[in-house]
Amino acid sequence: MAEPVSHVTAQMPRAKLAGLLLFFLGPAVVIYTLFSIYPLVATMALSTYTSDTSGARSFVGLANFQTLLGDALWSKPFWNALGNNLIFFVVHMCVQNPVGIALAGLLSLPGVRLKGFYRTVMFLPTMLSVVIVGFSWNLILSPLWGVASGALKAVGLGSLFAPWLGLESSALVTLSLISVWQFVGIPMMLIYAALLNIPEELIDAARVDGLGQFRIFFHIKLPLVLPTISLVSVLTFVANFNAFDLIYSVKGALAGPNFATDILGTFFYRTFFGNQLQLGNPTMGAAVATVMFFIILLGLCLYLFLVQRRIRRYAF
Amino acid sequence: MANLSIEHLNKRYGATTVLNDVNLSIEDGEFVVLVGPSGCGKSTLLRMIAGLDGASGGDIHIAGKLVNTLAPAERGIAMVFQSYALYPHMNVRKNMTFGLKFTGVPPTERERRVTEAARMLRLEELLERYPRDLSGGQRQRVAIGRAIVREPEVFLFDEPLSNLDAALRVSTRVEIANLHRLLKSTIVYVTHDQVEAMTLADRIVVMNKGCIEQVGKPLDLYYEPANLFVAGFIGSPAMNFFEAEVEGIEGGRARVTGAAFRTLDISAASLKVGDRLTVGVRPEHLVRGEAGAFTAEGIVELVERLGEASFAYLRRVDGKMFVAEVRGRQTPAPGETVTLVAASPDVHVFDASGLRVATETR
Amino acid sequence: MTRDQRARSIGVHLVLIAYSLLAVGPILLVVMNSFKVRSAIFGSPLTPPDASTFSLIGYEKVFRSSHILLYYSNSLIVTLVSMALVLLFGAMAAWALTEYRFRGSTALALFLSIGIMVPIRLGSVAILNMMRSAGLNDTLTALVLVYVAQGLPMSIFILSEFIQQIPKDLRDAARCDGVPETRIFFEVVAPLLRPAIATVAVFTIVPIWNDLWFPLILTSSDSTHTVTLGVQQFLGQYITDWNSVLAALSMAILPVVVIYVILSRQLIAGLTSGAVK
Ligand SMILES: Nc1ncnc2c1ncn2[C@@H]1O[C@H](COP(=O)(O)OP(=O)(O)OP(=O)(O)O)[C@@H](O)[C@H]1O
Ligand SMILES: [Mg+2]
Repeated sequence: MAEPVSHVTAQMPRAKLAGLLLFFLGPAVVIYTLFSIYPLVATMALSTYTSDTSGARSFVGLANFQTLLGDALWSKPFWNALGNNLIFFVVHMCVQNPVGIALAGLLSLPGVRLKGFYRTVMFLPTMLSVVIVGFSWNLILSPLWGVASGALKAVGLGSLFAPWLGLESSALVTLSLISVWQFVGIPMMLIYAALLNIPEELIDAARVDGLGQFRIFFHIKLPLVLPTISLVSVLTFVANFNAFDLIYSVKGALAGPNFATDILGTFFYRTFFGNQLQLGNPTMGAAVATVMFFIILLGLCLYLFLVQRRIRRYAF
Repeated sequence: MANLSIEHLNKRYGATTVLNDVNLSIEDGEFVVLVGPSGCGKSTLLRMIAGLDGASGGDIHIAGKLVNTLAPAERGIAMVFQSYALYPHMNVRKNMTFGLKFTGVPPTERERRVTEAARMLRLEELLERYPRDLSGGQRQRVAIGRAIVREPEVFLFDEPLSNLDAALRVSTRVEIANLHRLLKSTIVYVTHDQVEAMTLADRIVVMNKGCIEQVGKPLDLYYEPANLFVAGFIGSPAMNFFEAEVEGIEGGRARVTGAAFRTLDISAASLKVGDRLTVGVRPEHLVRGEAGAFTAEGIVELVERLGEASFAYLRRVDGKMFVAEVRGRQTPAPGETVTLVAASPDVHVFDASGLRVATETR
Repeated sequence: MTRDQRARSIGVHLVLIAYSLLAVGPILLVVMNSFKVRSAIFGSPLTPPDASTFSLIGYEKVFRSSHILLYYSNSLIVTLVSMALVLLFGAMAAWALTEYRFRGSTALALFLSIGIMVPIRLGSVAILNMMRSAGLNDTLTALVLVYVAQGLPMSIFILSEFIQQIPKDLRDAARCDGVPETRIFFEVVAPLLRPAIATVAVFTIVPIWNDLWFPLILTSSDSTHTVTLGVQQFLGQYITDWNSVLAALSMAILPVVVIYVILSRQLIAGLTSGAVK
């Protein structure tokens, strides 16, 4: 947040300033604290309790975490979910960002017509609900409908088709790619905006220096939009480690086949609400949420201290 | 209409002092112009008068009333901003009446004032337009109109013409001068432009680094600058300075010598032998001649022809440059050695600390 | 244009067209087939419906066996009310944080920005408990409260950037005019924040409309379901009835697409306005 600018407020009587602050900040701070910060804190607090069959709660310290990480019954699915979540994230980083950068780069080339049309079309999936997108792809990839296999056959690759979403080996990567398909619009747009911010003269200067479009992109534009790329990466990280809707709507709470697509979000949901196989357990659910919180926090800290500090921002 | 007095005003931002012990007293109905280099604190002073910036120390009185703790709206001032600061989502009429709503002016009275101001500023046709549909000059007039309808005791202008092109600047300047004649209000006006300052001001305040260097009538500042800073700041091109030393004193007159001019004889009681001085002569006061009260030689390096006059840039004996204004069609050629003279009333002398040494004046 | 340039330009367009097809193809496919009879859905999925294959049977079933219109109105209510509150409270808070100097303002700004990065979902356990004890579970109010809390940090961040772009002179002029502080906000600043609405919408409103998690957790009865949850549950029930499934999907897709196409210029301008960097 920037430095406050007005000095009129500095001369304002204290009571008046307090009244104004209460009026302007009150509603936001109250709602935010009550329904965002307090639940987070309360969830963390709850993770140190356990409830017995009668519903009475008792303090157990870090025992829930010991169970989660030590008891094979809990730790196996937990590590499985964490591992899957990492794969989910890695696929995003390796596909979503390069594709987004490439599309933004193409869109920002001088003299490309119909930019507005392409932008609108390519951003469309991002506006849709994950549930709808997931289910639509579920149908398209389904061997029952045969659209995907038909399309592959048409280009002579029919033998490559497999029910990807149903196979343990490929379900997770397929889901990741569906998610990439949906959200590639965000890196594309943010990077495109950053590319537009690069002054025209800089590009002209490079062209006068004899650089081609390709070199200009890699040696001039890309380094200048690096801060945006790293911001996109951290947004992706947070979104990925918090994802749930896609897996749940395509694969259900059990994240099949055989938990091959289970990520932290679905694991949290099952733990908290229960499912066909187990009863819901709010305190263990709170523990899972707390662990997720710390994973996200760890990622943010790594970003802030390792990445953001090294990235130089250039003023134009 | 009211007088304005500023006493021991200070402004600090952390460790940096922006205004340092400013004292200024402005008469009722006076047009005072603040000039000074960029960053010297002109806007800050104006904003403090308006109550937009708080003071770190000192008092401001408007119409005899201490206003230090009053909000801007309670001070009886109106301000015209360099960026015009028109409300973009309100038409011209609304822009002018918006503030009146909150100061308890009844609707009929608001209407009367707007009509009056619109007539004065020739805005009648534009009242329903939005700021984006106005030219720069029209926006400026609306901004002035918005100030007029408030019927303030004191008008504050912060570089109101600096966003206009040269021609418009001249005509708006004339308009502001007329307005002042008509309204007879007290005006404090900040500008970068010397011509604006000279033409508009009853008195000019020259500021530098947060201090007031000199306050005076425009021509007083021109003919009797109080110190080296004012001497160099007022006038364009700037005054030429020559290092000098008092060589001898005889009968109340001092013999002053320097590397770049012929020995000079001035009447100055306060000088002693060995005093280090600076002698200043304006380019427009130098004429070609053989010998005068002040005489200097130089080799012409460059001539700038402006039409009604030309400026010759000359290299002095000591290697530095000085400028002389040349009238007429015959300009010296580069490489030519020229002798230039000035009459003694046009020679300014400053002591080692930069203050003016009283000599005979015009 | 030289030959080289033309070749390159064609290449660029080919890539962009290919990707555009990939982006809208699946959506088109679903919507197109939702208007066909079952045999045509399977027989010729890639051809648009014609006179012999056109059918609205899927839509009839959806209307008959689910409260899709109710879900729509629920989603609309929740989204619009949340949007209004997020914009109003967000702008007010952003104004106070950028305009007033007070002790603890930096700390407060930091506190408010936690929510940008930390997902509120992680507090779901406690949110559910709170809503239950307040008697708010299974109400739209609960959803609105949570969404406002979720949207505020980002909207405060975005709106602060916009407020800083409003010239300082404008507020000073209003102060010289004697306009009270609250009026300066509502009558001078707020009207100038209109362009920010699109940016806030992309980042906070769209996620609210599309959310599955909180309706799933906080609403249990049919009468409080949103479109996303309602359609999701419908799909689960009728998974083998392809006509209904495709129709339900289309009904969730089409309104969003229509609104998006109408507003896309503003939305994309909002996204690329540089306020979020
Ligand atoms: N908020 C602030 N914090 C620190 N220093 C400031 C602040 N505002 C102004 N200053 C400093 O105060 C000094 C005077 O500024 P001011 O705007 O009054 O100059 P000015 O004479 O109006 O210049 P200009 O002719 O360029 O408008 C400048 O050096 C400026 O850097
Ligand atoms: Mg200034």
